[in-house]
Amino acid sequence: MKMNSLITTARLSWHVAVRNWVVYRKDFIANISPTLADPALVLASLGVGLSPFIGHIGGRTYAEFLAPGMVATTALFTAFFECSYGFYIRMTFESVFKAMLTTAIGVPDIVIGEFIWVAIRAGLMATGSGLVLLALGLVPNLWACLLFPFIGGLLALPCGAIGLLSASLVRNINQFQTVYSFVIAPIYYLSGVFFPLTGLSWLSVLVQFSPFYHGVRLLQMSSWGEWNWVEGLSHLAALLAFTIALGWLSFLQVRRKLIL
Amino acid sequence: MTETATRVIEAQGLMKSFGSLDALRGCDLEVTAGECVGLLGPNGAGKSTFIGCLYGTVAPTGGELRVFGLDPKREPRAVKARIGIVPQENALDEELTVLENMRLYARFVGLPRGMATERIEQLLAHMALDHKRDAPIRSLSGGMKRRLAFVRALLVNPELLILDEPTTGLDPTVRHLIWERVLGYRQEGKTVLVTTHYMHEAELLCNRIVILDAGRVMAMGSPQELIQQYAPGFVGYFPAETEIRLRPNLPPGTATFEQGRQFCVRAPRFEDLTELQRVTNVSAVQLRPASLEDVYLKLTGHGLDENE
Ligand SMILES: Nc1ncnc2c1ncn2[C@@H]1O[C@H](COP(=O)(O)OP(=O)(O)OP(=O)(O)O)[C@@H](O)[C@H]1O
Ligand SMILES: [Mg+2]
Repeated sequence: MKMNSLITTARLSWHVAVRNWVVYRKDFIANISPTLADPALVLASLGVGLSPFIGHIGGRTYAEFLAPGMVATTALFTAFFECSYGFYIRMTFESVFKAMLTTAIGVPDIVIGEFIWVAIRAGLMATGSGLVLLALGLVPNLWACLLFPFIGGLLALPCGAIGLLSASLVRNINQFQTVYSFVIAPIYYLSGVFFPLTGLSWLSVLVQFSPFYHGVRLLQMSSWGEWNWVEGLSHLAALLAFTIALGWLSFLQVRRKLIL
Repeated sequence: MTETATRVIEAQGLMKSFGSLDALRGCDLEVTAGECVGLLGPNGAGKSTFIGCLYGTVAPTGGELRVFGLDPKREPRAVKARIGIVPQENALDEELTVLENMRLYARFVGLPRGMATERIEQLLAHMALDHKRDAPIRSLSGGMKRRLAFVRALLVNPELLILDEPTTGLDPTVRHLIWERVLGYRQEGKTVLVTTHYMHEAELLCNRIVILDAGRVMAMGSPQELIQQYAPGFVGYFPAETEIRLRPNLPPGTATFEQGRQFCVRAPRFEDLTELQRVTNVSAVQLRPASLEDVYLKLTGHGLDENE
């Protein structure tokens, strides 16, 4: 009985993810462009433009230093925007969940389905941007590309959960701007994408609370070929812990919105 | 079969409050298998809230509720597998085509792919939508979207069909088509719960009417019983200015009210009204048997009833 209902949950969550894919592919090009455009722009302006003035960081050019962070950024933005604006629009303007809830689908299936969708999507987008960086010669460790979909997908879960949480807490769609400015932007700028955190003691403590940081480190270690099991496993554990904690919180908040 | 097995919906003292607002205040309602029950009541009476409780999207704050003997809050899947819902809002995926949309829902309700295609085609034809199978939902008219919401609700071949204002905003042709289909489902033995603001629709479709006001059941019975009990007789509409001439001559047992700037008299017998016209030499604009609408207006307090 219990097993059966778990299998049903898996099946129904998958269908929720499929629904998003079916809608998403209708406007494929328009949908994937912005998430790839942003990291490309950063790389062009900072990596190419600023690199000559900065010199090397840990034996790498600045562009090489930035590259893994851009893979992480793709996952972060994909996950956050899909789960904040995207989810909010599905919930309010499109009433997608109202219709789903008339079927066997319940709130847990919806939330898990959104996570499946965002993990797959962010994983693929991260890999896509990683491959572009590889082609530009900015990923020294070729094998890292095999890890990009998994790290990107895993990183997308806590970031997506932040999106879902904000989607269930905002009063109107404009408030996402506030969430972006006070939560996502600090996470983005301070998590070791743009500068190394070694030596900045207070910030390197604070940044442990950013799920994004752990993903950035995993991507940096793998794409620079500096894998260290102890550090790697601690980041994996942190990402899982953030996923469970934020995922559970976001489930509770989403349920409050969907079940009156 | 046991007694509870034939009871599809059992609500006792069902309550729901949204903060300080009480949407349902002790709602008692039973629906037996094979019935078509009409849920009437003013805007905000709690009809959609009651329906939400039935399939678990509204969590009651008090009272007892059983659907097919199950608690929808605790076993929503088992309950929803047996009901088809046409919600007040269509909630269709506007970007998708008719077929894409229905295929997704077929997956949601667990229809195997092969069966789904056949069933969708069959239901689209049944709702006269087969020519639109590849059209994007966005391009459909309101009536087509409504019919598509029916197709979606029928995919599970439900035992209980819940229709929240199925014909609001539809033209008479579509309305008649929907009525005809709903009467068909009744014949097939499906149980139907329908909310509506059209009394004629309720009289036509339902064997039993429940009038809800401010979250409570005000009256219940067949249309005929309700008319007999609350507003029996015949109604005459007279020009407003004739009120002074009519008043002194009203036969005993009549009720008067104003509607559409006309002075209305409801009398127990038809002859009472013909007699009134003869005595006062005023001719009525219209004479008709009392209807469910009279009951509704009287009970929900918007009929501006003066006498009773
Ligand atoms: N999500 C909500 N939050 C707060 N109040 C709500 C909510 N949903 C409904 N209500 C209130 O509950 C009451 C009952 O609403 P409901 O939608 O059930 O009425 P209804 O009978 O379906 O009306 P209508 O004929 O307009 O569809 C109303 O006063 C409404 O304002
Ligand atoms: Mg309603």
